Amino acid sequence: MAHVQLAILFTSAALVIIGLYSAIFIDNIIKKIIGISFIEEGANLFIVAIGYKPGGVVPILMPGMDTSWFASNAAYPLPFGLVLTSIVIGASTLAVMLALVMVLYRRYGTLSTKVMLADTSKQEEYDE
Amino acid sequence: MNELIPLMVIVPLMAALLISAFSRFNKVTKIFAFVVAICLPIIPIASNYGLHYFGGYEPMLDNVTNVMFHPAITYSFSFPQQIFIAMIGLLTFLVVFIYLTKYKEVSGPYLFLLFLGTAAVTAMLLTDDIFHMFVFFEILALAQVGIVAASSIDYSYEMALKYMILGSIGSPIMLLGIGFLLALTGSVNVTDIAAAVHNGLVDMTSPVFLLSLGLIFFGWLYASGLPPFHTIKSGIYSKAEPHGAALLQSFTVISMISIVLIMFRIYSSLPIFEVLVVFFSILAMILGVSLALTQTDFRRMIGFLAVGELGFIGLGIGLGTQYAITAGLFQALNEIIITALLFIGFGAIVNATNEVDTRKLGGLLAYHPKVSIMLLIGGLAMAGVPPLSGFQSKLMLVQASLSCGFPEISILAIMVSIATFVVFVKTFYAMFLRPKPNDLEVEGKEVPRSMIFAMGILLIIIILLGIFPDMVINGISSFVGGML
Repeated sequence: MAHVQLAILFTSAALVIIGLYSAIFIDNIIKKIIGISFIEEGANLFIVAIGYKPGGVVPILMPGMDTSWFASNAAYPLPFGLVLTSIVIGASTLAVMLALVMVLYRRYGTLSTKVMLADTSKQEEYDE
Repeated sequence: MNELIPLMVIVPLMAALLISAFSRFNKVTKIFAFVVAICLPIIPIASNYGLHYFGGYEPMLDNVTNVMFHPAITYSFSFPQQIFIAMIGLLTFLVVFIYLTKYKEVSGPYLFLLFLGTAAVTAMLLTDDIFHMFVFFEILALAQVGIVAASSIDYSYEMALKYMILGSIGSPIMLLGIGFLLALTGSVNVTDIAAAVHNGLVDMTSPVFLLSLGLIFFGWLYASGLPPFHTIKSGIYSKAEPHGAALLQSFTVISMISIVLIMFRIYSSLPIFEVLVVFFSILAMILGVSLALTQTDFRRMIGFLAVGELGFIGLGIGLGTQYAITAGLFQALNEIIITALLFIGFGAIVNATNEVDTRKLGGLLAYHPKVSIMLLIGGLAMAGVPPLSGFQSKLMLVQASLSCGFPEISILAIMVSIATFVVFVKTFYAMFLRPKPNDLEVEGKEVPRSMIFAMGILLIIIILLGIFPDMVINGISSFVGGML
């Protein structure tokens, strides 16, 4: 395994762990969402790292290239395609989450999840 | 006619987009949504069984390793897919029909979400590609969140955001698991991955392989609403409109069985896999029914009962024999129908009384006898009372656990069924049989005919499957035999 690939894998692991910490333990909803994005990007980075090939070329067959040389030297293109799709999905999820947060912020005037997402029955008692 | 296979996904997906784009033309939207909804159960019935290779890329032989591989996304369509997709199509039709008849002005985005969810679960059932399944799993989560947020029930936004946060943690974790499988096998096609695993090309004891199981399993727990996600799952059912909840629970069941069947094909050689599935299923059964006993909000009560029923499905699949998996899939089919009937029926009661607390209800049998009787039969079917469909699948599950050498599991399954019966009878008594409380105002509103129609159709299917279970059991059993 190349040093670059190893470094990328460690980075992705760090992103996932920081993201999980933030998503689980931090009260501020925006920081929680940033943490969730970290987890998503960590997963994406991990998949990109799988496709890395030391000394490899971009997996686009150009005119004049020898196909057998290309087959043995090109990076694996499947993970890149998957990550592209995953980024799009992540962006949509993020947009919907932020939209929900906007509505709830207007309602509660706070970004604290303890206030915003407290158990609904407790909220009902509190309201009464 | 294999061209019809991708249409099962494309039709609802395109309909969703078109309805959303042209929603300002109310009448056209209504007619278009109705026509598409009626096509949904027809397409799978008209389609032949077989495979569909996207782009026409058929499996190829790798000259170096001499192994067949699938270069493109593959859809596989056989009897269980047909029956489940037809059922989801029928349910979507009934839900869309109820929605269209309930409101004069319909919401394009809401119909968009209903069709989007249907397209997503259909793709999850059909696909043989684990990443494709993940993509539609994410789309389904968005659709579910939208359906909850679109309801007019208090705290629906909060519940939607809660569900979304948990989903946004669960999904990338599942994606990491898929990444590990990709790193080990170089493929995302389930057939190719399973072939690599079972032909010894992957070391099954390697930590990476075991970690991939753990990560995908976590995603499955979230998708299925099994513990520790049972509370949030029943929560989203209670915050959605009742007809939306009927569809949401069917989405949960379908995503549960599609992911677990993929996991089964890849990890069935690992004994820990079956142990994990059985453990979480039993936990769901016990927690679901225990929490249902304590509920006073009847929507939440059905939500927990639905989670308990999911445990029965997982139990069948976790036991791993042909008979047990057939029983599990038959139970899944029954749960989709029975729980939908209960959600729609109780939705009719909310419609008439504007009350969801069983302590404040009573004497409704005199006001809504048709709904009461249909709900009673639906509840008995869920509890496993003969000759209804729930009885057949639960009997099969009890027999399967006995034949696998686990009499204690069969005793537990019977006890959970009895507890389900108790929960339902208690709620039914509180709502329909005891004298009406003086402060309860039963409005003179009639239950919409569309709801009665939907419940009638579902009830007929419950009775038919109860009397003639072989209609579906034989087909499912031969599919499972092939898979094993």
